[in-house]
Amino acid sequence: MAEQAYTVASDSENTGEEKSSSTLPEIAIGIDIGTSQCSVAVWNGSQVELLKNTRNQKMMRSYVTYKDDIPSGGVSNQLSNEHEMLSGAAIFNMKRLVGRVDTDPVVHACKSLPFLVQTLDIGVRPFIAALVNNAWRSTTPEEVMAIFLVELRAMAELQLKRPIRHVVLTIPVSFGRFQLTRIERACAMAGLHVLRLMPEPTAVALLYAQQQQQTTHDNMGSGSEKIALIFNMGAGYTDVAVTATAGGVSQIRALAGSAIGGEDLLQNMMHYLLPNADTLFSSHSINEIKAMGLLRVATQDAIHKLSTQTSVPINLDLGNGSKINKVLHRQEFEEVNRKVFEKCETLVTQCLHDAKVEIEDVNDVIVVGGCSYIPKVKDLVTSACKRKELYKGMNPLEAAVCGAALEGAVASGISDPFGNLDLLTIQIATLAIGIRADGGNFIPIIPRNTTMPARKEMTFTTAHDNQTEALIVVYEGEGQKVEENHLLGYFKIVGIPPAPKGAPEISVCMDVDASNVLRVFAGVVQLGSYQPAMPFMEVRMPTVDDGHGWCAEALNRAYGSTLDLVSVQKKI
Amino acid sequence: MISLTSSSSFFGPNVVVEGRRNPQYPSFRSVRPLTISASCASTVERPGSHIATGTSSLYEVLGIRMEATCLEIKTAYRRLARVVHPDVVVARGQRGQASADEFLKIHEAYSTLSDPEKRADYDRRLFERQWQANSRFTMSSSSSNSGFSSFRPRKWETDQCW
Repeated sequence: MAEQAYTVASDSENTGEEKSSSTLPEIAIGIDIGTSQCSVAVWNGSQVELLKNTRNQKMMRSYVTYKDDIPSGGVSNQLSNEHEMLSGAAIFNMKRLVGRVDTDPVVHACKSLPFLVQTLDIGVRPFIAALVNNAWRSTTPEEVMAIFLVELRAMAELQLKRPIRHVVLTIPVSFGRFQLTRIERACAMAGLHVLRLMPEPTAVALLYAQQQQQTTHDNMGSGSEKIALIFNMGAGYTDVAVTATAGGVSQIRALAGSAIGGEDLLQNMMHYLLPNADTLFSSHSINEIKAMGLLRVATQDAIHKLSTQTSVPINLDLGNGSKINKVLHRQEFEEVNRKVFEKCETLVTQCLHDAKVEIEDVNDVIVVGGCSYIPKVKDLVTSACKRKELYKGMNPLEAAVCGAALEGAVASGISDPFGNLDLLTIQIATLAIGIRADGGNFIPIIPRNTTMPARKEMTFTTAHDNQTEALIVVYEGEGQKVEENHLLGYFKIVGIPPAPKGAPEISVCMDVDASNVLRVFAGVVQLGSYQPAMPFMEVRMPTVDDGHGWCAEALNRAYGSTLDLVSVQKKI
Repeated sequence: MISLTSSSSFFGPNVVVEGRRNPQYPSFRSVRPLTISASCASTVERPGSHIATGTSSLYEVLGIRMEATCLEIKTAYRRLARVVHPDVVVARGQRGQASADEFLKIHEAYSTLSDPEKRADYDRRLFERQWQANSRFTMSSSSSNSGFSSFRPRKWETDQCW
């Protein structure tokens, strides 16, 4: 087996500048790295084509196996059977771990995977390791993804017979900016430059826009507006988008997403079949890992079967004295996972509400992703959207990667004589961005679902008399309190002229460009002065690196409320 | 309640108009290496200032009639987005930063006019301004660029008393 070409092209997290300056004769490829599966697609000059690996597969498992010193991923490697992936040597589900700290419940859920996920619960990155020659060999989610991306890149280069440098990647809606920098880092490690990180349902929306445009071309129609609701449920994440499309322009009206997916369905079923699973597998001994693997494969298999049949027998000997002999019914599966399905419904209704769209005005309901084969998933979306029929024009597993490939071609400046690339997606912010003010509250400056590029400004004032410094702490998220959100960065404004509290005017402006690069500007507005005494600050975010869970706490401990700000109501 | 101010003291030329801030006030646009462009800074319009400065109405920004239907507004927005959106401009191999400002302006116009309530409110203010501008013109010829603030309806009422 050939050694991996492991090149680190750039350690820079600031890839945004290049996006706008480089001229791109080559067509960027689209990559969908799913929690469980991944795929690559490219615009071949007339249409989008999915690339296949040497085993003729379009869908490849997202994992990396560590054997001796050479790691190998699911693109090139062929496992003799499913159990080999669950022997402790294979790392998978990285999309659920990347960019998360060890206090995150999603990370805790990953502890029942058959490799090592160790947490200290202090807000640092979790410790992840694979079992190699009876020792836990540490790695990171970025490294695992990079190894995987190197294989995908090699596969694409072999088929397209050209070097691949630029990529469009699909990402979950709920990913924060810190997670996006981790994905960019993994790409940089694999020698790939990220042209765009596209929320998965917006990639599907782009494909839908193209399909609608082709239909109107054929009918010579006027291209009236069509509204679609896109529901994308994969192994790790569930996302919803409402898009309005006309004339090749898709306006994303609202996005909603959550870190729930097939993995949760699987884990809930494993716990249902073996209620003491957590204690049984807590020490990760070799026998435990083996038993865990057996249970995982059998449960996954049963869930798959329940998509087409109403009951499935499970006969399993875990080898440690516990045996499972049971007939599992579809109703049981739906009942055990009731909360997950309820959350899915909430996402749909929330997204429709945020888009200010009446359900009657939705022209098409699109359900994609690996979980779209589950009858309950289809049912819940059709009933939430009061539909009988779902949109049929898309392959549920390929829609996102096809959209990414379209975006790759459009962003590379490729034009198509038949107008198939006359497409534009007007994206929106997936999470609110704001600062800490009014005593530990999160004050959003750019609200969620704001059209990008976006620029918003808000005025704040001091919390104390003669306060000369103020701490600008930038967060991203939906919680009202800052602790519920993700810290992006912080900086201090100094030189505020001494004045009673509430008098100074401190302006904070946030700018998100079309490439989703965030810049924060802040400074003191000097009334009646023609010579600003203090320069303004311009900070590109996120600036925090690993351990950002710690960081916020340290800031709080060191400064408390002494450098607080208070939001100012707009004078009308 | 916290409300957003849509004006931008970081970018807008309104600093000059209001006369309370330094005209050479640092424009953050021009500090950025990639965005140095005089036209860039000057095209940034304070979104709410169309009325105050009287340069162009939101209808003019979108290139539509004042009677335009909701559909016409959407179509115009999409047509312009296809030209000025930074993604389109970058894909054509040009610099995208200047177009971000233009797109922001168009989106601002679109989001006001596509919301019936906001549009009605805007129309009312626009009408007031035009009417007042006309009457000012007939009453006195002193309307000049220095008197922007006096174009505001409230000021006009005090003028009327006088």
